[in-house]
Amino acid sequence: MNAELTEIRDFIKASPPFDKLPDDAADRLTENIHIGYLRKDSSLPPKNITEPRLYLVRKGALSYLDEQHELLGKFGEGDICTVFCLPDDKIKIAVRTDEDTLLYSINWQLVFDLLQPFPEVLAYFNTSAAERLQRQVSKIHEQAVVNGTLMNTSISDFYRAPAVTITAGASIRDAAIKMNEVNLSSLLVTEKGEMAGIVTDKDIRQRCVAQALSVEQPVSDIMTRQLISIEADNNAFDALVLMTTRQIHHLPVTREGKLAGMITVTDLIRQEGQNAVHITGAIHKAESIKALVEISKLVPKLQQHMVKTGTTAAHVGKSISAITAAFTVRLIEMAEKISGPAPVPYVWVAAGSQARREQCCHSDQDNALIISDQAKPEHDYWFHDLATFVCDGLAACGYAYCPGNVMASNPKWRQSQKVWGQYFEAWVNKPDPKALMHCSIFFDLAPIHGEMSLLTDLRQTMLAQTQGNTLFLAHLTKNALNLRPPLGFFRDFVLEKNGDNKNTLDLKHKGIAPIVDLARIYALAEGVSAVNTVERLRQVAGSASLTLASAKNLIDAVEFMGMLRIEHQVKQLQQGKLADNFLPPKQISRLEREHLKDAFKVVKSLQDVRQSVYG
Amino acid sequence: MSMKLLDKLHLALFGYQAHRKRLLARAPDGPLKAFLSVPFPDKNTPISEVPVLALDFETTGLDSKKDQLLSAGSVEINRGEICLKSRYHQIVKTRGLLDEDNVVIHQITDSAKEQGAELALVVEAILSALAGKVMLVHFARIEITFLRQACLELYGMAPIFPVIDTLMVAKRRLDKRGLPFDASGLRLGNLRQSHQLPAHFAHNALNDALATAELLLAEVACANHGEQLPLKHYLL
Repeated sequence: MNAELTEIRDFIKASPPFDKLPDDAADRLTENIHIGYLRKDSSLPPKNITEPRLYLVRKGALSYLDEQHELLGKFGEGDICTVFCLPDDKIKIAVRTDEDTLLYSINWQLVFDLLQPFPEVLAYFNTSAAERLQRQVSKIHEQAVVNGTLMNTSISDFYRAPAVTITAGASIRDAAIKMNEVNLSSLLVTEKGEMAGIVTDKDIRQRCVAQALSVEQPVSDIMTRQLISIEADNNAFDALVLMTTRQIHHLPVTREGKLAGMITVTDLIRQEGQNAVHITGAIHKAESIKALVEISKLVPKLQQHMVKTGTTAAHVGKSISAITAAFTVRLIEMAEKISGPAPVPYVWVAAGSQARREQCCHSDQDNALIISDQAKPEHDYWFHDLATFVCDGLAACGYAYCPGNVMASNPKWRQSQKVWGQYFEAWVNKPDPKALMHCSIFFDLAPIHGEMSLLTDLRQTMLAQTQGNTLFLAHLTKNALNLRPPLGFFRDFVLEKNGDNKNTLDLKHKGIAPIVDLARIYALAEGVSAVNTVERLRQVAGSASLTLASAKNLIDAVEFMGMLRIEHQVKQLQQGKLADNFLPPKQISRLEREHLKDAFKVVKSLQDVRQSVYG
Repeated sequence: MSMKLLDKLHLALFGYQAHRKRLLARAPDGPLKAFLSVPFPDKNTPISEVPVLALDFETTGLDSKKDQLLSAGSVEINRGEICLKSRYHQIVKTRGLLDEDNVVIHQITDSAKEQGAELALVVEAILSALAGKVMLVHFARIEITFLRQACLELYGMAPIFPVIDTLMVAKRRLDKRGLPFDASGLRLGNLRQSHQLPAHFAHNALNDALATAELLLAEVACANHGEQLPLKHYLL
């Protein structure tokens, strides 16, 4: 091609998804460009253009508006506009120029033909926001695995043994029962004592239930015939390569040719969390607050390390939360050593992000005490001392006092099980704004130390009150919908619904919190006791509240945003700054912005569904 | 290269279409005759429907009789759109060594020049592309005089071209406003900037032609609040 058009070619190549194209393919796109100029407030496509085209903003800005003239998004230099690629009467999006705009366009059919050899680029146009996001998240997972220390780890260190098998003639129902018994998502299928294949819970869903196949059919009907296995003395990285090239998630492990066990992709990912185990070990051995404070200084470093080695956000959250729990338990043990044993049973509970196991280092503390109804008024001295000691200790270890005073040291949140029951009843029956705020904190509770049944019983009563309680759920929904994700990005700004621009994206409140809220509502509506957001979504998936596909999309969205959040925090920590949740769009790549926009879309569409159900 | 007095008179009296026919009758067979045999766009055609060829020359100097054409670049505007597919860029094989000053401006070195095409081929390509279109140039004098001079040398006579000069289009717009303005504001880069067009890599014939074409689109979009004016409003 003429070297003279390299400027335009480079511009094309800087615009995702074309950044993945080799130069010669980008050249061919470039030479097919038409250049037009539209005045401010013109509508797209230009009047004389009737063929389907892909548009690309070279200079200027576009606004997308829905039928009610509500702003859907703003697009600037380097943004592509696919609205007019495949004319669809159902989509009524108006596109208008916000400024005088120099616009590139290419015949869509031509783009489509040119991109045939590049399925990963073409996929951008063929897939929904949710699908693109999913692809990105699975890429991050793969990266997480590759970046770890898998090269140095032998499979024999962590495969699951023995392999759980079932004979090929057994029924699908038997296979499901066995999976439940052993709590595994896959079984090896044997035929005449030889390995014949593998059956997973996904096979049961997709090949049996979804196909209305009788569960009495032999399991061999739905298994994947798979005779690939790996010897236990290979390293974990080899296992990963094998699994990714064959696109499988479960791999049988053999020792000297004999079936010995199984390894899964999840096992590989989990390997990276091992560092957290060392820290919790040290906490258990600490003999003084001073020693705990020393250990607590390692926590930000651990988070940095985990992020650098590519660990997923969900996993970092679980590790950090586990460490917080370890600090709490150790402090409680110290307090009991000073004040003697508890006069009556109690349970120390964590609320908020720690309960959900989604904590980052430098989180505030959120905790409470549920005390047995046998307690007498004078017993509160003991619990007061305990709470004060533990909360002060946590503060010394870097967990700031809760600004809203949601701590066991506050008498209001240090109450008997009976009083807690009354609290929940009052919140559910009279959901005023303050009650709803308390709901979002105390519906996410996890036991940390003590008599667990105190919380389990309370939760059962509470769930019985919320499940199917449409009025309460409607209030909770309305409250949750106050937090809307932004529309997207415009140049280096975050674009809000009303057209405002902000310098930074509040990842916690505008991105992650709306999903956490949705997951809580689904869980309460369906009577699910899980507290962790991803677990809640998994458990309600396929229920009346949430389809399987939507659950998957939300999980991808929360993982992606969680990852951006911890990466941002690690960057801040490395620069010696305090970690926060405010991400400047300038700091992330154009591609990451695209994926973030996809995540916002997923959240927004499910908020809309929720609004139409309980609005 | 100025036109003969008689030609000028004829052009003024009968317009460029009639003048084209008069020249056609005299033209020798070949590229020039082929060019003149295609009618020019009608002066009353709305500007966005006029086929345009944005053209730029890089030369060794300003005098068409002494200086040489170094390279030519062009791109078409059809129905208000620039089509990159129609782009043309060619380095011209010149005689003698290049002046160092110009090499710096145009970044054409002697070795690159060696790979250039014969002037006759370049002029033929330009005439063929220009047939039935309006020539678009920013500060048109150089392109007009060099192309006419080349035709005179190659075919023994010089044709006429309907020309839009973006410098004059912008000047007229600014004059009409009645406010004083700095002449440097009429430079291609400055005018583009005033229309919020992106910076372009100047001193390459194709890039300058493209930059001029974009500028015309912007001028047309902004003229009379987007109302479509006929070609004659824009002609030099």
